[in-house]
Amino acid sequence: MTERLVDGAVRRVLDGGRLDAAEALALYADLPTHRLGQLADAARAARHPGRIVTYIIDRNVNYTNVCVARCNFCAFYREVGAGDGYVLGFDEIFAKIDETVAVGGVQLLLQGGHNPDLPLRWYEDLFRAVKARYPDFKLHALSPPEVIHLSRLSQLPARTVIDRLVAAGLDSIPGGGAEILVDRVRKRLNCYGKATAAEWIDVMRHAHDAGLRTTATMMYGTVERLDERIEHLLRLRELQDATGGFTAFITWSFQPSNTELGGAGATGVEYLRTLALARLVLDNFDNLQASWVTQGGKVGQLSLACGANDMGSVMIEENVVRAAGAAYCMDEVEIVRNIEDAGFVPKRRDMQYRVLGDPIFRERQVPRMTELATAREAGDVSVPAELDRYPARSLAGKRRRQPVV
Amino acid sequence: MTTASRFEAIGDKVQAGVPLSASEIAALSETCNLLRLGALADERRRKTRGDRATFVRVAEVPATGIPGESVSRPAGEVRLAGCPAAASRVVEAVRAAVRAAGNVPVSGFALDELVDLCAGDVARFDDLIAALRAAGLAYVAEARVERTADPAWIARAAAGGVPVARWTVDSSLAGGEALRRVAGWGADVSVPVFAPLPRASSERPSTGYEDVRQVALARLLVDNTESIQVDWRRYGPQLAQVALTFGADDVDGVSPSDASQHGLRRAPLEEITRNIRAAGLVPVERDGRFRKLRTHQP
Repeated sequence: MTERLVDGAVRRVLDGGRLDAAEALALYADLPTHRLGQLADAARAARHPGRIVTYIIDRNVNYTNVCVARCNFCAFYREVGAGDGYVLGFDEIFAKIDETVAVGGVQLLLQGGHNPDLPLRWYEDLFRAVKARYPDFKLHALSPPEVIHLSRLSQLPARTVIDRLVAAGLDSIPGGGAEILVDRVRKRLNCYGKATAAEWIDVMRHAHDAGLRTTATMMYGTVERLDERIEHLLRLRELQDATGGFTAFITWSFQPSNTELGGAGATGVEYLRTLALARLVLDNFDNLQASWVTQGGKVGQLSLACGANDMGSVMIEENVVRAAGAAYCMDEVEIVRNIEDAGFVPKRRDMQYRVLGDPIFRERQVPRMTELATAREAGDVSVPAELDRYPARSLAGKRRRQPVV
Repeated sequence: MTTASRFEAIGDKVQAGVPLSASEIAALSETCNLLRLGALADERRRKTRGDRATFVRVAEVPATGIPGESVSRPAGEVRLAGCPAAASRVVEAVRAAVRAAGNVPVSGFALDELVDLCAGDVARFDDLIAALRAAGLAYVAEARVERTADPAWIARAAAGGVPVARWTVDSSLAGGEALRRVAGWGADVSVPVFAPLPRASSERPSTGYEDVRQVALARLLVDNTESIQVDWRRYGPQLAQVALTFGADDVDGVSPSDASQHGLRRAPLEEITRNIRAAGLVPVERDGRFRKLRTHQP
């Protein structure tokens, strides 16, 4: 029975058909890893016949680590009023953009905690200030749960929040905060409150309707069952059918260090199988990223044999995964070496996956990077002066700031 | 012939057990068709080794300054790291390690280090091996392929009662050269394990493709050893596990410590057995003499 289901699913893939949940589950559970990878590789090759593997030079900036969501899988957040909670100042963010531009970077991936003391106007002012200084620089910012948080904080519909952020300079929305889009799982991860599965999908639908392109993600390996991972993929596929607004899918495994949830992380084979299955189920997604930042460069490179066509980001800075114990670093030279060693042609891209050109280090000298930067130097708890211009909502925030005039 | 059809033709020869030419080995060792290569290696592995993956917990101790108290439990092997500059101190280090190890087998040294200590003199080498055997050394830890010009030393060590445990090869020996060399020495040179090692160069470390390709090639081309081994620490848990699906069947260097600041579920024994099972294999713990200690049930 199982064998028949697997054979049928393989035939379905080879015939260019669409997998249903039972077939996807059978492939993940019973098809040998090499065979699953080969099917995914063929699907990648059909969509990207030129053997081009892309990557982007950008920087993951986390503007604040203060968060009221309290997801139990997160090692990054700090509670309101915590001594090591921070908010980056506009000047700090400008300096990070300068560094990013200097190594050929084209955007910030800007995400942060759900900080009750940062109102919508702070984001609008930041985005406008960035666009005034760096008109061509892109802001890939604010995952759906952050949009929902701002919607609640400002008492405005999510659609209005998105419109206002776009008017201020938002270019695209990252797919963070999806975890597993099944509410049973979200309740157990204590992330149901920040966004239900339907709310996450709704924000993405609004964003696509507003003309924004976004990415989609999946963090697996916590408390979900295999069928719930597949339900997650099917929900993304359904929305993509409706809007076509997703540029890419990125999956990574839960990183357990320093988290309340704890436990063990998923293995390398599970990662490659999950990625390969995603390539087969998400038949309407053009791009799948390799998550070298969670899996390490070597398994990250092996992703290119299992359906990935993109090495993600050179990144420059990363804070969230590092807080959970993973601290891998690959600069552009290393990413390009890994792409070429796997027999592919490396190309730089932007967030829309438009090819920008060949590796920048082959055009001009770029300093080598041996470790990723962090949001701030350890121990720096300075409070940006401009925060005084915005009303705080928490008691701790009110105490810290000057009275609003 | 296209690259793909040539690969298929070579794969057919491998499956039929037909020896490959040097150019065919070179073609395999450069292929980017990694999954096809891996599938061939996995198939060979399952035919010859079944669905078991063995592992050994190794307590590594420096060959100088051996602690007086027990260092072994729950290790399956105590391995001396480094090599003193004089033969007498090598023997002394083994005696101290054996005292600390209790019943756990002790291994140590690279074969070329022992040959160098004897300045390549056969009689002195035989004397040293006899002394090491008397001191309790179970195995010479490794013979480095790059530094083994004459495999006769391996036979001498085995004849003296201290066989070599594994071939190690740095992946800097390109184009399958190391594999050809070992396979060419044939069944007369008996070493239980072949262990390709990741290249550790800080400028140009080996990639994931290179590492698992070496493992797969070793499985397909080296048939005069029993096991293809990956080192838990040097590969890292993620890649070592992937390598088990590319032809490896033995994991070396698992930490003997069960202490983990992150709790029992992330302690080394839990992690290795979970990783082996997640690769679709059955974890079997062994000791440094390649004796089965136990099968770990889920």
